[in-house]
Amino acid sequence: MIQFQFITAFLLIVLGIYAFLAKRNLIKLILALDIIDSGIHLLLISLGYRIELNEVPTAPIYTGYETLKSPMVGPLPQALVLTSIVIGVCVLSLAIALTINAYRHYGTLDVRALRRLRG
Amino acid sequence: MNGEAILPYLIIIPLFGAFSMPIVSLAGRKAREAWAVIISGATLALGSALFYYVWESGKIVLYTLGAKSPLGQGVNFPIRIVWEVDTFGALMVLMVTFVSFMAVIYSLGYMKHDTGLDKYYTLIIILELGMLGIAITGDLFNFYVFLEIMSIASYALVAFRNDTWEGIEAGIKYMFVGSIASSLILLGIALLYGQYGTLTMGYLALKLSQNPTVVGKVALALFIAGLLFKSGASPVHMWLADAHPAAPSSISAMLSGLVIKIGGIYALTRILFSIYGTSISTKTVGWVIIVFACITLIVGNAMAVIQTDMKRLLAYSSVGQIGYILLGIGIGLTAYGSQTGEIALAGAIYHTFNHALMKALLFLIAGVVIHQLGTRNLNELSGLAKTMPKTTFAFLIGAAAIIGMPPLNGFASKWLIYESSAIFNPLLGAIAIIGTAFCTAAYVRVLYTFFGRPSEKVMKAKDPEGTMLWPILILTIAIIVMGLFPWQISDKIMIPAVKTLENQLAYVSTLLGGA
Repeated sequence: MIQFQFITAFLLIVLGIYAFLAKRNLIKLILALDIIDSGIHLLLISLGYRIELNEVPTAPIYTGYETLKSPMVGPLPQALVLTSIVIGVCVLSLAIALTINAYRHYGTLDVRALRRLRG
Repeated sequence: MNGEAILPYLIIIPLFGAFSMPIVSLAGRKAREAWAVIISGATLALGSALFYYVWESGKIVLYTLGAKSPLGQGVNFPIRIVWEVDTFGALMVLMVTFVSFMAVIYSLGYMKHDTGLDKYYTLIIILELGMLGIAITGDLFNFYVFLEIMSIASYALVAFRNDTWEGIEAGIKYMFVGSIASSLILLGIALLYGQYGTLTMGYLALKLSQNPTVVGKVALALFIAGLLFKSGASPVHMWLADAHPAAPSSISAMLSGLVIKIGGIYALTRILFSIYGTSISTKTVGWVIIVFACITLIVGNAMAVIQTDMKRLLAYSSVGQIGYILLGIGIGLTAYGSQTGEIALAGAIYHTFNHALMKALLFLIAGVVIHQLGTRNLNELSGLAKTMPKTTFAFLIGAAAIIGMPPLNGFASKWLIYESSAIFNPLLGAIAIIGTAFCTAAYVRVLYTFFGRPSEKVMKAKDPEGTMLWPILILTIAIIVMGLFPWQISDKIMIPAVKTLENQLAYVSTLLGGA
C-alpha cells in the first residue's frame, strides 16, 4: 500500500524550499519557513502511524491496553511534533516582529531592499 | 561533589533566573543587575564543579530525567531522555559558563544607557541555558530543543537595538538562515527516527553500527549541512559577518566565542564521533569536512584583511578560526584512531576553548572603543594607545594570541593543528600557514592603527570604568596564564578529552548500564 502521507510531506518540503528560494517578500519567506516545518511535522507524525498487518492503529493510551487487539500509534513522534510546533510558533512570532520593524525602517517588505550591510 | 547531583541544577538555575528576571526587575536597576550576576555566577560555580568532577574521575556522567535508569520497564533499551557528559562536554560547559559570566559583568557598564534591560538579561541567560543544554544532552530531540532555545535567543539579541536598521537587517538575515539550518537538522532527526526508532544518542550509535543504512547517511548529510550553516563555515558564512557586528558587543562576544562553537562545532563533533563513529566511512566524511575547512580558513582570514569596520574584521576572523577548528576535526576523523588524528582533534578542542577566550576579549575591547568614541571605523581610531593604554595592551595580547605567538595560549592549539596537518598531508599544513599569514596581516593593521599618530577624536577617550575593565583584564590574565602551561593543559585535559570522545563504546555502555 502506498503511503500517501510521505509523498505529501516531501512535496510540502520541496514546495517550501522553492518558495524560500524564489520569493522576495518577507511575509512569503516566513510562510515558506512554516511550510517546510509543516512538511517535516507531517513526516514525523506519519512515521509514528504505521499500518502493519492491515490494521489501523489506535491512540497511545496505556490505561487498559491489555484488552486492546490492534497496534498503537508511536507516542514519541507526537510528543516531538508538539514541542516542535511550539518552537515554530516562537520563531514565527519573532520573525513577524522583526518584519514589522523592518517595514518601519525600510518602508518595504522586499528583501532586496535589505542590502545595506555589505563587504 | 557528585556529578549526577550537579547536572539538573545546571539547567534549573539559569531557567529560574531567566524567567524570574522580569519580577526581580520591578525592584529596580540594582536588584536586576545583582540578580543577573548572581545567577550567572552560580552557574559558573556549578559548571566548574562539574568540570572538575568529570575531569578528575574520568567518568561519563549520566543523568536520566524522571527515573533512576534510562531503560524502560521490562525492556532492555533506553526510552527516557538522558543527559550524558564526558570530558569534552564538561570542558564546553566550563567555557560557556565562564565567558557568559564575563559577558554579563561587562553588560552592567556597557548596556547602562539602553532601555528594556529586563528583557536583555532574560535573553542573555536563556542563551547561556540553551548552550549548556546542548553541551550536556545525550538525546537528539532534546538537542534540537536546546539548539532552538539558543538560536531564538540569539536572533532576538542580534536585533536587540531595534531602533537601528543595522540590527533589524542582520537579525532578519540571521533568522532566515538559522531557521533553514534548524529545519535541515530536524529533517535529519526525523529520518533517523524513522529508520531506527530511537533518538537516544548512545542507543542510536549501537543501532547504526549494527545496521548502517542509506537513510542514516542521508541524515548525516543533513546534519553536516545544517551544522556547517550554524557554525558559519565558508560558503554560507555571509550571515555571520552581518549578525555578529550588529549585536551589542557583549552579545557579539558570546555569539562569536560560544554560539558558533556549541551550536556548530560541538554538535558536529558529538554527532560524528559519538553517534556515527566508525559505522560510516570516516575517510570520505573527514575529507568533506577538510575541504570545507580549507575554504573557510582562506576566505575568512582573507576577508578580514580588507575590512575597515573593526567588529566586522573580528567577525571574519572568527570565520577563519572556525576553519582551523574544522580542519582539526576533519583530520581527526580521516585519521580516526591514529596518533595524528588524536593530536589534530586535541588541537581542535584546545583551539575551540582558546578562541572562545580570545574572541570574547577582542569583541569586549571593540565594545569599549565604541562606547568611548562612538565609532568602529578603523580609519578614525588612530593613536588609541596614547589615551587608552590598558585597553590597547589587552588588545595586543588578544591579537598576539589569535595569531599564535609563542608565549600565549593560541600558540599551543595552533601548533597542534599545524603539526598534525603537516604530518597528515603537507598541502593542508601549507594552507593553514597561509591562513595565518592573512590573519596576521589583519591584526597587524589594527595594531598599526592603534599605535599610530593620535587624531583629535581619540584625545578625549579614556580607559573604561570598572565593570567594563574587569572582564577584559580577567580574560587577558586567563590567556596569559593558559599560555604559560601549554603542553601541561594539552596532556592533562585535551588528550583525555579526545580519548573519551573517540571511545564510542564507553559512551554506549554508560547509557546501557555498564554492560
